[in-house]
Amino acid sequence: MLHLKNICAGYGNGDVLHNITFDLPLGQNLCILGPNGCGKSTLLRAIAGLLESRGELTLDGKPVADMRRPEIASHMAMMSQMSTVYFSFTVYETVMMGRYQKLRRGLFASPSKEDKRYVEQYLQATGLEPLRERQISELSGGQLQRVFLARTLAQEPEIILLDEPTNHLDLKHQTELVAYLKKWSQEKGRTVIGVLHDINLSLMLSDQLLFLKNGSVAGMGPAHTVLTKAFLHEVYDMDVASYMLDSLKRWEQVS
Amino acid sequence: MKRTVKVLLAVAITLLILVGSIAVGSVNLTPGQVAEILMAKLSGKAGTIDPNLSAIVWGMRFPRAVLAFLTGAALSASGTVMQSILKNPLASSYTLGVSSGASLCAALVMVTGVTFPILGSLFTLPAAGFAGGLATVFLALAFAARLDGKMENQTVILVGMVFSLFVNAILTLITALSREHLQQMVFWQMGGFTGRDWSHVAVMCPVLVLSMLMLQRFTTEMDIMSFGEEQAMSIGVDLKRVKLLLIGMAALLTGTAVSLVGVIGFVDLIAPHVVRRIFGSAHRLVLPLSALFGGSFLMLAELVSRTIMAPTIIPVGAVTALVGAPFFALVFFRGRKLK
Repeated sequence: MLHLKNICAGYGNGDVLHNITFDLPLGQNLCILGPNGCGKSTLLRAIAGLLESRGELTLDGKPVADMRRPEIASHMAMMSQMSTVYFSFTVYETVMMGRYQKLRRGLFASPSKEDKRYVEQYLQATGLEPLRERQISELSGGQLQRVFLARTLAQEPEIILLDEPTNHLDLKHQTELVAYLKKWSQEKGRTVIGVLHDINLSLMLSDQLLFLKNGSVAGMGPAHTVLTKAFLHEVYDMDVASYMLDSLKRWEQVS
Repeated sequence: MKRTVKVLLAVAITLLILVGSIAVGSVNLTPGQVAEILMAKLSGKAGTIDPNLSAIVWGMRFPRAVLAFLTGAALSASGTVMQSILKNPLASSYTLGVSSGASLCAALVMVTGVTFPILGSLFTLPAAGFAGGLATVFLALAFAARLDGKMENQTVILVGMVFSLFVNAILTLITALSREHLQQMVFWQMGGFTGRDWSHVAVMCPVLVLSMLMLQRFTTEMDIMSFGEEQAMSIGVDLKRVKLLLIGMAALLTGTAVSLVGVIGFVDLIAPHVVRRIFGSAHRLVLPLSALFGGSFLMLAELVSRTIMAPTIIPVGAVTALVGAPFFALVFFRGRKLK
Protein backbone atom coordinates (compact mmCIF):
# COMPACT_ATOMS: atom_id res chain seq x y z
CA MET A 1 0.00 0.00 0.00
CA LEU A 2 1.26 3.45 -0.92
CA HIS A 3 0.05 5.90 1.67
CA LEU A 4 0.20 9.69 1.44
CA LYS A 5 -1.17 11.94 4.15
CA ASN A 6 -0.95 15.73 4.09
CA ILE A 7 2.01 15.75 1.71
CA CYS A 8 3.36 19.23 1.02
CA ALA A 9 6.34 19.83 -1.25
CA GLY A 10 7.87 22.51 -3.42
CA TYR A 11 11.03 24.04 -4.85
CA GLY A 12 12.13 26.76 -2.47
CA ASN A 13 9.70 29.48 -3.52
CA GLY A 14 6.90 27.97 -1.50
CA ASP A 15 4.90 24.78 -1.76
CA VAL A 16 3.61 23.47 -5.06
CA LEU A 17 1.71 20.61 -3.42
CA HIS A 18 -0.73 21.21 -0.59
CA ASN A 19 -1.90 18.46 1.77
CA ILE A 20 -2.06 15.63 -0.75
CA THR A 21 -3.74 12.65 0.87
CA PHE A 22 -4.56 9.28 -0.70
CA ASP A 23 -3.98 5.55 -0.42
CA LEU A 24 -3.22 3.30 -3.35
CA PRO A 25 -3.23 -0.49 -2.91
CA LEU A 26 -0.34 -2.16 -4.76
CA GLY A 27 -1.54 -3.84 -7.94
CA GLN A 28 -3.75 -0.91 -8.90
CA ASN A 29 -2.78 1.66 -11.50
CA LEU A 30 -3.20 5.38 -10.97
CA CYS A 31 -3.15 8.21 -13.46
CA ILE A 32 -2.51 11.74 -12.31
CA LEU A 33 -4.22 14.39 -14.41
CA GLY A 34 -4.79 18.11 -14.30
CA PRO A 35 -3.97 21.35 -16.06
CA ASN A 36 -0.40 22.56 -16.68
CA GLY A 37 1.50 23.61 -13.58
CA CYS A 38 -0.90 21.92 -11.15
CA GLY A 39 1.91 19.85 -9.60
CA LYS A 40 1.59 16.48 -11.37
CA SER A 41 5.33 15.96 -11.94
CA THR A 42 6.11 17.41 -8.51
CA LEU A 43 3.83 14.83 -6.90
CA LEU A 44 5.52 12.04 -8.85
CA ARG A 45 8.96 13.24 -7.73
CA ALA A 46 7.80 13.51 -4.14
CA ILE A 47 6.45 9.94 -4.22
CA ALA A 48 9.76 8.73 -5.69
CA GLY A 49 11.61 10.42 -2.83
CA LEU A 50 13.48 12.62 -5.30
CA LEU A 51 11.97 15.73 -3.79
CA GLU A 52 11.81 16.35 -0.05
CA SER A 53 8.28 16.52 1.27
CA ARG A 54 6.50 17.08 4.55
CA GLY A 55 3.70 14.84 5.76
CA GLU A 56 3.37 11.05 5.79
CA LEU A 57 4.64 9.11 2.81
CA THR A 58 4.91 5.39 3.44
CA LEU A 59 5.27 2.27 1.34
CA ASP A 60 3.90 -0.86 3.02
CA GLY A 61 4.02 1.03 6.29
CA LYS A 62 7.65 2.12 6.02
CA PRO A 63 8.40 5.84 5.60
CA VAL A 64 10.07 6.48 2.24
CA ALA A 65 12.20 9.17 3.90
CA ASP A 66 13.82 6.48 6.09
CA MET A 67 14.87 4.38 3.09
CA ARG A 68 18.24 4.70 1.38
CA ARG A 69 18.32 5.19 -2.40
CA PRO A 70 19.05 1.53 -3.25
CA GLU A 71 16.10 0.40 -1.12
CA ILE A 72 13.73 2.94 -2.68
CA ALA A 73 14.90 1.91 -6.15
CA SER A 74 14.16 -1.74 -5.41
CA HIS A 75 10.51 -0.76 -4.82
CA MET A 76 10.01 2.21 -7.13
CA ALA A 77 11.46 3.23 -10.49
CA MET A 78 10.81 6.56 -12.07
CA MET A 79 11.03 7.48 -15.71
CA SER A 80 11.44 11.24 -15.89
CA GLN A 81 10.43 13.41 -18.78
CA MET A 82 12.89 13.28 -21.65
CA SER A 83 16.43 13.75 -20.44
CA THR A 84 19.31 15.17 -22.41
CA VAL A 85 21.86 12.66 -23.64
CA TYR A 86 25.30 13.94 -22.68
CA PHE A 87 27.27 10.81 -23.44
CA SER A 88 26.11 8.26 -25.92
CA PHE A 89 25.66 4.58 -25.06
CA THR A 90 24.15 1.81 -27.11
CA VAL A 91 20.47 0.99 -26.59
CA TYR A 92 21.48 -2.33 -25.01
CA GLU A 93 23.95 -0.71 -22.61
CA THR A 94 21.36 1.88 -21.56
CA VAL A 95 18.65 -0.69 -20.85
CA MET A 96 21.17 -2.83 -18.93
CA MET A 97 21.69 0.12 -16.55
CA GLY A 98 18.19 -0.63 -15.23
CA ARG A 99 19.64 -3.87 -13.82
CA TYR A 100 22.13 -1.85 -11.72
CA GLN A 101 20.86 -3.12 -8.37
CA LYS A 102 21.15 -6.75 -9.42
CA LEU A 103 24.38 -6.53 -11.41
CA ARG A 104 27.32 -8.46 -10.03
CA ARG A 105 30.06 -6.19 -8.76
CA GLY A 106 33.78 -6.54 -9.11
CA LEU A 107 36.56 -5.69 -11.47
CA PHE A 108 35.75 -8.22 -14.15
CA ALA A 109 32.08 -8.86 -13.38
CA SER A 110 29.68 -9.12 -16.27
CA PRO A 111 25.86 -9.22 -16.33
CA SER A 112 24.31 -12.53 -15.29
CA LYS A 113 22.09 -14.66 -17.54
CA GLU A 114 19.08 -13.38 -15.64
CA ASP A 115 20.07 -9.74 -16.22
CA LYS A 116 20.48 -10.42 -19.93
CA ARG A 117 17.13 -12.24 -20.05
CA TYR A 118 15.31 -9.28 -18.50
CA VAL A 119 16.99 -6.83 -20.86
CA GLU A 120 16.10 -8.97 -23.88
CA GLN A 121 12.51 -9.26 -22.66
CA TYR A 122 12.05 -5.50 -22.33
CA LEU A 123 13.87 -4.73 -25.58
CA GLN A 124 11.32 -6.99 -27.26
CA ALA A 125 8.38 -5.52 -25.35
CA THR A 126 9.26 -1.95 -26.32
CA GLY A 127 10.06 -2.86 -29.93
CA LEU A 128 13.73 -1.89 -29.54
CA GLU A 129 15.25 -5.22 -30.52
CA PRO A 130 16.24 -4.02 -34.04
CA LEU A 131 17.92 -0.93 -32.53
CA ARG A 132 19.88 -2.67 -29.77
CA GLU A 133 23.35 -1.77 -31.05
CA ARG A 134 22.44 1.78 -32.11
CA GLN A 135 23.86 4.75 -30.20
CA ILE A 136 21.10 6.51 -28.26
CA SER A 137 22.32 9.88 -29.51
CA GLU A 138 21.17 8.80 -33.00
CA LEU A 139 17.61 7.96 -31.94
CA SER A 140 14.42 9.95 -32.41
CA GLY A 141 12.58 11.37 -29.38
CA GLY A 142 10.06 8.55 -29.42
CA GLN A 143 12.70 5.84 -29.71
CA LEU A 144 14.68 7.36 -26.87
CA GLN A 145 11.56 7.49 -24.73
CA ARG A 146 11.07 3.77 -25.32
CA VAL A 147 14.71 3.13 -24.34
CA PHE A 148 14.20 4.89 -21.02
CA LEU A 149 10.96 3.01 -20.48
CA ALA A 150 12.70 -0.32 -21.14
CA ARG A 151 15.40 0.68 -18.65
CA THR A 152 12.75 1.54 -16.05
CA LEU A 153 10.99 -1.79 -16.63
CA ALA A 154 14.33 -3.64 -16.37
CA GLN A 155 14.56 -2.40 -12.77
CA GLU A 156 11.68 -4.79 -12.00
CA PRO A 157 10.18 -2.51 -9.35
CA GLU A 158 6.83 -2.90 -7.60
CA ILE A 159 5.81 0.60 -8.62
CA ILE A 160 6.67 2.37 -11.84
CA LEU A 161 6.35 6.13 -11.92
CA LEU A 162 6.04 7.57 -15.40
CA ASP A 163 6.12 11.26 -16.18
CA GLU A 164 4.37 11.78 -19.49
CA PRO A 165 5.68 8.55 -21.00
CA THR A 166 3.80 8.98 -24.25
CA ASN A 167 4.47 12.61 -25.17
CA HIS A 168 6.99 11.81 -27.92
CA LEU A 169 5.20 8.73 -29.24
CA ASP A 170 2.96 8.37 -32.26
CA LEU A 171 -0.60 7.12 -31.77
CA LYS A 172 0.25 3.49 -32.47
CA HIS A 173 3.12 3.46 -30.00
CA GLN A 174 1.06 5.34 -27.40
CA THR A 175 -1.73 2.79 -27.38
CA GLU A 176 0.68 -0.15 -27.59
CA LEU A 177 2.67 1.20 -24.69
CA VAL A 178 -0.35 1.77 -22.49
CA ALA A 179 -1.72 -1.69 -23.35
CA TYR A 180 1.65 -3.20 -22.49
CA LEU A 181 1.86 -1.37 -19.15
CA LYS A 182 -1.65 -2.52 -18.28
CA LYS A 183 -0.74 -6.12 -19.09
CA TRP A 184 2.55 -5.81 -17.18
CA SER A 185 0.85 -4.57 -14.05
CA GLN A 186 -1.96 -7.12 -14.22
CA GLU A 187 0.30 -10.11 -14.84
CA LYS A 188 2.81 -9.19 -12.16
CA GLY A 189 0.42 -7.61 -9.70
CA ARG A 190 2.38 -4.36 -9.82
CA THR A 191 1.50 -0.70 -9.94
CA VAL A 192 1.89 1.99 -12.56
CA ILE A 193 1.51 5.60 -11.50
CA GLY A 194 1.54 7.82 -14.56
CA VAL A 195 1.23 11.48 -15.33
CA LEU A 196 -0.73 11.63 -18.58
CA HIS A 197 -2.44 14.46 -20.39
CA ASP A 198 -4.61 12.23 -22.51
CA ILE A 199 -7.77 11.28 -20.61
CA ASN A 200 -8.52 8.41 -23.03
CA LEU A 201 -5.11 6.84 -22.47
CA SER A 202 -5.57 7.32 -18.73
CA LEU A 203 -8.85 5.41 -18.90
CA MET A 204 -7.13 2.55 -20.71
CA LEU A 205 -4.33 2.30 -18.17
CA SER A 206 -5.65 3.11 -14.76
CA ASP A 207 -7.91 1.74 -12.08
CA GLN A 208 -8.03 5.10 -10.37
CA LEU A 209 -7.78 8.69 -11.57
CA LEU A 210 -6.35 11.51 -9.48
CA PHE A 211 -7.08 15.07 -10.56
CA LEU A 212 -4.93 17.89 -9.25
CA LYS A 213 -5.74 21.56 -9.38
CA ASN A 214 -3.44 24.26 -8.01
CA GLY A 215 -1.44 21.66 -6.10
CA SER A 216 -4.39 20.11 -4.28
CA VAL A 217 -6.45 17.00 -4.93
CA ALA A 218 -9.57 18.00 -6.85
CA GLY A 219 -10.91 14.45 -6.92
CA MET A 220 -9.83 10.83 -6.90
CA GLY A 221 -11.47 7.51 -7.62
CA PRO A 222 -12.40 5.06 -10.38
CA ALA A 223 -13.34 6.74 -13.66
CA HIS A 224 -17.10 6.33 -13.25
CA THR A 225 -17.05 8.14 -9.91
CA VAL A 226 -14.95 11.16 -10.87
CA LEU A 227 -15.49 11.74 -14.57
CA THR A 228 -18.49 14.02 -14.67
CA LYS A 229 -19.10 16.90 -17.01
CA ALA A 230 -19.22 19.43 -14.18
CA PHE A 231 -16.09 18.09 -12.47
CA LEU A 232 -13.97 18.18 -15.65
CA HIS A 233 -15.22 21.69 -16.35
CA GLU A 234 -14.17 22.73 -12.87
CA VAL A 235 -10.68 21.19 -13.14
CA TYR A 236 -9.78 22.26 -16.67
CA ASP A 237 -11.85 25.43 -16.85
CA MET A 238 -13.33 24.28 -20.16
CA ASP A 239 -16.13 22.02 -21.30
CA VAL A 240 -14.04 18.89 -21.81
CA ALA A 241 -16.99 16.55 -22.27
CA SER A 242 -18.54 18.61 -25.08
CA TYR A 243 -15.15 18.86 -26.78
CA MET A 244 -14.78 15.08 -26.66
CA LEU A 245 -18.30 14.49 -27.97
CA ASP A 246 -17.80 16.99 -30.79
CA SER A 247 -14.58 15.20 -31.72
CA LEU A 248 -16.42 11.90 -31.72
CA LYS A 249 -19.05 13.30 -34.08
CA ARG A 250 -16.33 14.46 -36.45
CA TRP A 251 -14.73 11.02 -36.33
CA GLU A 252 -18.02 9.37 -37.11
CA GLN A 253 -17.99 11.25 -40.41
CA VAL A 254 -14.60 9.73 -41.26
CA SER A 255 -15.43 6.66 -43.28
CA MET B 1 37.66 -2.69 -36.66
CA LYS B 2 36.93 -4.97 -33.75
CA ARG B 3 37.17 -3.55 -30.26
CA THR B 4 39.83 -6.06 -29.15
CA VAL B 5 42.00 -5.19 -32.14
CA LYS B 6 41.67 -1.49 -31.34
CA VAL B 7 42.69 -2.11 -27.71
CA LEU B 8 45.70 -4.21 -28.77
CA LEU B 9 46.69 -1.51 -31.23
CA ALA B 10 46.49 1.12 -28.47
CA VAL B 11 48.72 -1.01 -26.21
CA ALA B 12 51.21 -1.55 -29.07
CA ILE B 13 51.38 2.21 -29.77
CA THR B 14 51.98 2.88 -26.06
CA LEU B 15 54.90 0.43 -25.99
CA LEU B 16 56.30 1.97 -29.16
CA ILE B 17 56.19 5.45 -27.62
CA LEU B 18 57.81 4.08 -24.46
CA VAL B 19 60.72 2.60 -26.42
CA GLY B 20 60.94 5.78 -28.51
CA SER B 21 61.10 8.07 -25.50
CA ILE B 22 63.87 5.95 -23.96
CA ALA B 23 65.84 5.66 -27.21
CA VAL B 24 65.69 9.25 -28.47
CA GLY B 25 67.59 12.11 -26.86
CA SER B 26 71.02 13.73 -26.76
CA VAL B 27 72.45 10.23 -27.24
CA ASN B 28 70.36 8.18 -29.62
CA LEU B 29 70.02 4.45 -29.04
CA THR B 30 68.57 1.64 -31.09
CA PRO B 31 65.52 -0.23 -29.79
CA GLY B 32 67.82 -3.24 -29.50
CA GLN B 33 70.19 -1.37 -27.18
CA VAL B 34 67.26 -0.17 -25.08
CA ALA B 35 65.96 -3.73 -24.74
CA GLU B 36 69.44 -5.01 -23.92
CA ILE B 37 70.00 -2.43 -21.18
CA LEU B 38 66.56 -2.95 -19.65
CA MET B 39 66.97 -6.75 -19.71
CA ALA B 40 70.41 -6.48 -18.15
CA LYS B 41 69.12 -4.22 -15.38
CA LEU B 42 66.09 -6.34 -14.68
CA SER B 43 68.10 -9.59 -14.60
CA GLY B 44 70.90 -7.99 -12.58
CA LYS B 45 73.65 -8.91 -15.07
CA ALA B 46 75.60 -5.88 -16.30
CA GLY B 47 77.45 -7.80 -19.06
CA THR B 48 79.20 -5.77 -21.75
CA ILE B 49 76.93 -2.71 -21.60
CA ASP B 50 78.48 0.76 -21.47
CA PRO B 51 77.80 2.00 -17.91
CA ASN B 52 77.21 5.54 -19.20
CA LEU B 53 74.44 4.37 -21.54
CA SER B 54 73.04 2.24 -18.78
CA ALA B 55 72.96 5.28 -16.47
CA ILE B 56 71.19 7.39 -19.10
CA VAL B 57 68.56 4.76 -19.75
CA TRP B 58 67.97 3.41 -16.27
CA GLY B 59 68.76 6.49 -14.24
CA MET B 60 67.11 9.16 -16.37
CA ARG B 61 65.05 8.30 -19.42
CA PHE B 62 63.23 5.21 -18.24
CA PRO B 63 61.97 6.64 -14.92
CA ARG B 64 61.03 9.90 -16.68
CA ALA B 65 59.05 8.04 -19.36
CA VAL B 66 57.37 5.86 -16.76
CA LEU B 67 56.51 8.90 -14.62
CA ALA B 68 55.17 10.71 -17.69
CA PHE B 69 52.99 7.70 -18.44
CA LEU B 70 51.76 7.42 -14.86
CA THR B 71 50.95 11.12 -14.45
CA GLY B 72 49.28 11.26 -17.87
CA ALA B 73 47.19 8.24 -16.91
CA ALA B 74 46.31 9.75 -13.53
CA LEU B 75 45.24 13.09 -15.02
CA SER B 76 43.18 11.40 -17.72
CA ALA B 77 41.44 9.01 -15.33
CA SER B 78 40.64 11.98 -13.11
CA GLY B 79 39.28 13.93 -16.09
CA THR B 80 37.10 10.98 -17.10
CA VAL B 81 35.59 10.82 -13.61
CA MET B 82 34.93 14.57 -13.46
CA GLN B 83 33.28 14.57 -16.89
CA SER B 84 30.98 11.77 -15.86
CA ILE B 85 29.98 13.39 -12.56
CA LEU B 86 29.35 16.78 -14.16
CA LYS B 87 27.78 15.31 -17.30
CA ASN B 88 30.01 17.58 -19.29
CA PRO B 89 32.69 16.62 -21.80
CA LEU B 90 34.43 19.94 -21.08
CA ALA B 91 34.83 19.40 -17.36
CA SER B 92 38.14 18.45 -15.84
CA SER B 93 39.99 18.65 -12.57
CA TYR B 94 41.47 21.88 -13.90
CA THR B 95 38.07 23.53 -14.47
CA LEU B 96 36.99 22.61 -10.95
CA GLY B 97 40.04 24.04 -9.27
CA VAL B 98 41.68 20.76 -8.22
CA SER B 99 44.89 21.59 -10.08
CA SER B 100 45.10 25.11 -8.66
CA GLY B 101 44.36 23.96 -5.12
CA ALA B 102 46.96 21.23 -5.42
CA SER B 103 49.50 23.70 -6.83
CA LEU B 104 48.88 26.17 -4.01
CA CYS B 105 49.35 23.62 -1.23
CA ALA B 106 52.37 22.06 -2.93
CA ALA B 107 53.87 25.55 -3.31
CA LEU B 108 53.28 26.25 0.37
CA VAL B 109 55.16 23.06 1.22
CA MET B 110 58.06 24.14 -1.02
CA VAL B 111 58.24 27.65 0.42
CA THR B 112 57.89 26.70 4.07
CA GLY B 113 59.90 23.50 3.75
CA VAL B 114 57.57 21.66 6.14
CA THR B 115 57.51 17.89 6.28
CA PHE B 116 54.57 15.97 7.70
CA PRO B 117 56.01 13.75 10.44
CA ILE B 118 54.51 10.40 9.41
CA LEU B 119 54.73 10.95 5.66
CA GLY B 120 58.37 11.99 5.38
CA SER B 121 59.77 14.27 2.73
CA LEU B 122 58.83 11.98 -0.16
CA PHE B 123 55.09 11.87 0.52
CA THR B 124 54.56 15.33 2.04
CA LEU B 125 54.30 17.09 -1.32
CA PRO B 126 51.71 14.72 -2.86
CA ALA B 127 49.73 14.64 0.38
CA ALA B 128 49.62 18.44 0.39
CA GLY B 129 48.63 18.42 -3.28
CA PHE B 130 45.82 15.98 -2.60
CA ALA B 131 44.55 17.95 0.40
CA GLY B 132 44.69 21.24 -1.52
CA GLY B 133 42.94 19.78 -4.55
CA LEU B 134 40.23 18.15 -2.49
CA ALA B 135 39.64 21.24 -0.36
CA THR B 136 39.31 23.50 -3.41
CA VAL B 137 36.93 21.24 -5.30
CA PHE B 138 34.67 20.79 -2.27
CA LEU B 139 34.68 24.50 -1.51
CA ALA B 140 33.79 25.20 -5.13
CA LEU B 141 31.00 22.61 -5.12
CA ALA B 142 29.61 23.83 -1.78
CA PHE B 143 29.61 27.39 -3.08
CA ALA B 144 27.94 26.32 -6.34
CA ALA B 145 25.28 24.41 -4.37
CA ARG B 146 24.45 27.56 -2.36
CA LEU B 147 24.18 29.63 -5.53
CA ASP B 148 22.14 27.12 -7.45
CA GLY B 149 20.32 24.32 -5.67
CA LYS B 150 20.08 22.31 -8.85
CA MET B 151 23.86 22.53 -9.34
CA GLU B 152 23.48 23.20 -13.05
CA ASN B 153 26.57 22.44 -15.09
CA GLN B 154 27.21 26.03 -16.06
CA THR B 155 27.11 27.19 -12.43
CA VAL B 156 29.47 24.45 -11.26
CA ILE B 157 31.97 25.07 -14.03
CA LEU B 158 31.84 28.85 -13.70
CA VAL B 159 32.27 28.69 -9.92
CA GLY B 160 35.08 26.17 -10.43
CA MET B 161 36.81 28.57 -12.80
CA VAL B 162 36.39 31.48 -10.37
CA PHE B 163 37.89 29.42 -7.53
CA SER B 164 40.62 28.22 -9.83
CA LEU B 165 41.58 31.74 -10.88
CA PHE B 166 41.39 33.04 -7.31
CA VAL B 167 43.62 30.26 -5.96
CA ASN B 168 46.00 30.81 -8.88
CA ALA B 169 46.21 34.48 -7.94
CA ILE B 170 47.26 33.54 -4.39
CA LEU B 171 49.82 31.16 -5.89
CA THR B 172 51.23 33.93 -8.07
CA LEU B 173 51.45 36.18 -5.03
CA ILE B 174 53.35 33.57 -3.02
CA THR B 175 55.64 32.88 -5.97
CA ALA B 176 56.42 36.58 -6.39
CA LEU B 177 57.06 37.12 -2.69
CA SER B 178 59.33 34.13 -2.10
CA ARG B 179 62.37 35.27 -4.03
CA GLU B 180 64.65 32.43 -3.02
CA HIS B 181 62.19 29.85 -4.40
CA LEU B 182 61.08 31.92 -7.37
CA GLN B 183 62.89 30.00 -10.09
CA GLN B 184 62.10 26.58 -8.62
CA MET B 185 58.42 27.42 -8.35
CA VAL B 186 58.08 28.99 -11.77
CA PHE B 187 59.62 25.91 -13.38
CA TRP B 188 57.51 23.58 -11.31
CA GLN B 189 54.32 25.44 -12.26
CA MET B 190 55.18 25.08 -15.94
CA GLY B 191 55.10 21.33 -15.56
CA GLY B 192 58.01 19.10 -16.40
CA PHE B 193 59.95 15.95 -15.74
CA THR B 194 63.48 17.30 -15.39
CA GLY B 195 65.14 15.88 -12.31
CA ARG B 196 62.35 13.37 -11.68
CA ASP B 197 63.50 9.86 -10.84
CA TRP B 198 62.41 6.51 -9.46
CA SER B 199 61.42 8.04 -6.11
CA HIS B 200 58.68 10.02 -7.87
CA VAL B 201 57.59 6.88 -9.71
CA ALA B 202 57.43 5.12 -6.35
CA VAL B 203 54.89 7.70 -5.15
CA MET B 204 52.78 7.96 -8.30
CA CYS B 205 52.62 4.25 -9.12
CA PRO B 206 50.80 2.95 -6.02
CA VAL B 207 48.46 5.95 -5.99
CA LEU B 208 47.50 5.33 -9.62
CA VAL B 209 47.16 1.55 -9.35
CA LEU B 210 45.07 1.64 -6.18
CA SER B 211 42.86 4.47 -7.45
CA MET B 212 42.29 2.75 -10.77
CA LEU B 213 41.35 -0.51 -9.05
CA MET B 214 38.91 1.42 -6.89
CA LEU B 215 37.49 3.53 -9.73
CA GLN B 216 37.08 0.52 -12.01
CA ARG B 217 34.57 -0.85 -9.48
CA PHE B 218 32.41 2.23 -9.99
CA THR B 219 32.25 2.36 -13.77
CA THR B 220 28.58 1.33 -13.89
CA GLU B 221 27.76 4.17 -11.50
CA MET B 222 29.69 6.59 -13.75
CA ASP B 223 27.69 5.38 -16.76
CA ILE B 224 24.43 5.94 -14.92
CA MET B 225 25.45 9.29 -13.42
CA SER B 226 26.19 10.66 -16.87
CA PHE B 227 22.38 10.67 -17.40
CA GLY B 228 21.90 13.11 -14.54
CA GLU B 229 21.57 12.87 -10.80
CA GLU B 230 17.83 12.35 -10.61
CA GLN B 231 17.95 9.39 -12.96
CA ALA B 232 20.94 7.95 -11.12
CA MET B 233 19.07 8.15 -7.81
CA SER B 234 15.98 6.63 -9.35
CA ILE B 235 18.02 3.67 -10.61
CA GLY B 236 19.34 3.20 -7.09
CA VAL B 237 22.79 4.81 -7.06
CA ASP B 238 23.68 5.95 -3.54
CA LEU B 239 24.54 9.29 -5.07
CA LYS B 240 26.05 11.23 -2.17
CA ARG B 241 28.41 8.44 -1.17
CA VAL B 242 29.45 7.57 -4.73
CA LYS B 243 29.93 11.20 -5.74
CA LEU B 244 32.03 11.94 -2.66
CA LEU B 245 34.19 8.91 -3.29
CA LEU B 246 34.65 9.64 -6.99
CA ILE B 247 35.52 13.30 -6.45
CA GLY B 248 37.92 12.25 -3.70
CA MET B 249 39.62 9.79 -6.03
CA ALA B 250 39.82 12.33 -8.86
CA ALA B 251 41.35 14.88 -6.47
CA LEU B 252 43.84 12.28 -5.20
CA LEU B 253 44.98 11.46 -8.74
CA THR B 254 45.25 15.05 -9.95
CA GLY B 255 46.63 16.34 -6.65
CA THR B 256 49.40 13.74 -6.62
CA ALA B 257 50.25 14.27 -10.28
CA VAL B 258 50.33 18.06 -9.98
CA SER B 259 52.45 18.02 -6.83
CA LEU B 260 55.01 15.74 -8.52
CA VAL B 261 55.32 17.27 -11.99
CA GLY B 262 53.51 20.62 -11.89
CA VAL B 263 50.46 21.77 -13.82
CA ILE B 264 50.01 19.99 -17.13
CA GLY B 265 46.81 20.89 -18.92
CA PHE B 266 44.68 19.43 -21.69
CA VAL B 267 45.65 15.77 -21.20
CA ASP B 268 42.65 15.20 -18.93
CA LEU B 269 40.35 16.88 -21.43
CA ILE B 270 41.59 15.25 -24.61
CA ALA B 271 42.12 11.64 -23.53
CA PRO B 272 38.55 10.79 -22.45
CA HIS B 273 37.15 12.71 -25.41
CA VAL B 274 39.18 10.82 -28.00
CA VAL B 275 38.58 7.48 -26.31
CA ARG B 276 34.82 8.04 -26.26
CA ARG B 277 34.90 8.79 -29.98
CA ILE B 278 36.64 5.50 -30.68
CA PHE B 279 35.25 3.14 -28.06
CA GLY B 280 31.84 4.57 -27.07
CA SER B 281 30.91 5.89 -23.63
CA ALA B 282 30.86 2.80 -21.39
CA HIS B 283 33.25 3.69 -18.57
CA ARG B 284 34.31 0.06 -18.12
CA LEU B 285 36.44 0.71 -21.21
CA VAL B 286 36.64 4.51 -21.25
CA LEU B 287 38.34 4.73 -17.86
CA PRO B 288 41.30 2.36 -18.45
CA LEU B 289 41.71 3.35 -22.08
CA SER B 290 41.68 7.07 -21.24
CA ALA B 291 44.44 6.33 -18.75
CA LEU B 292 46.36 4.45 -21.46
CA PHE B 293 45.84 7.18 -24.05
CA GLY B 294 46.64 10.00 -21.60
CA GLY B 295 49.77 8.17 -20.46
CA SER B 296 51.01 7.69 -24.02
CA PHE B 297 50.19 11.28 -24.92
CA LEU B 298 52.18 12.66 -22.00
CA MET B 299 55.12 10.32 -22.73
CA LEU B 300 55.15 11.65 -26.26
CA ALA B 301 54.85 15.26 -25.04
CA GLU B 302 57.77 14.65 -22.66
CA LEU B 303 59.84 13.31 -25.56
CA VAL B 304 58.96 16.32 -27.72
CA SER B 305 59.67 18.76 -24.88
CA ARG B 306 63.31 17.69 -24.57
CA THR B 307 64.10 17.00 -28.24
CA ILE B 308 62.36 19.65 -30.33
CA MET B 309 64.62 22.52 -29.22
CA ALA B 310 67.49 20.42 -27.82
CA PRO B 311 69.56 21.08 -25.84
CA THR B 312 66.93 23.46 -24.40
CA ILE B 313 64.10 21.64 -22.64
CA ILE B 314 60.74 23.33 -23.00
CA PRO B 315 58.00 22.84 -20.37
CA VAL B 316 55.82 19.79 -21.01
CA GLY B 317 52.75 21.82 -20.06
CA ALA B 318 53.50 24.13 -22.99
CA VAL B 319 53.75 21.17 -25.37
CA THR B 320 50.47 19.62 -24.23
CA ALA B 321 48.70 22.97 -24.55
CA LEU B 322 50.24 23.81 -27.94
CA VAL B 323 49.27 20.43 -29.35
CA GLY B 324 46.22 19.91 -27.18
CA ALA B 325 44.26 23.10 -27.70
CA PRO B 326 44.01 22.96 -31.51
CA PHE B 327 43.62 19.20 -31.44
CA PHE B 328 40.81 19.45 -28.94
CA ALA B 329 39.10 22.16 -30.98
CA LEU B 330 39.42 19.98 -34.07
CA VAL B 331 37.95 16.90 -32.39
CA PHE B 332 35.25 18.79 -30.53
CA PHE B 333 34.01 20.96 -33.36
CA ARG B 334 34.42 18.40 -36.12
CA GLY B 335 31.10 17.84 -37.81
CA ARG B 336 29.58 21.04 -36.44
CA LYS B 337 28.61 23.79 -38.77
CA LEU B 338 30.06 27.18 -38.02
CA LYS B 339 27.39 29.82 -37.67
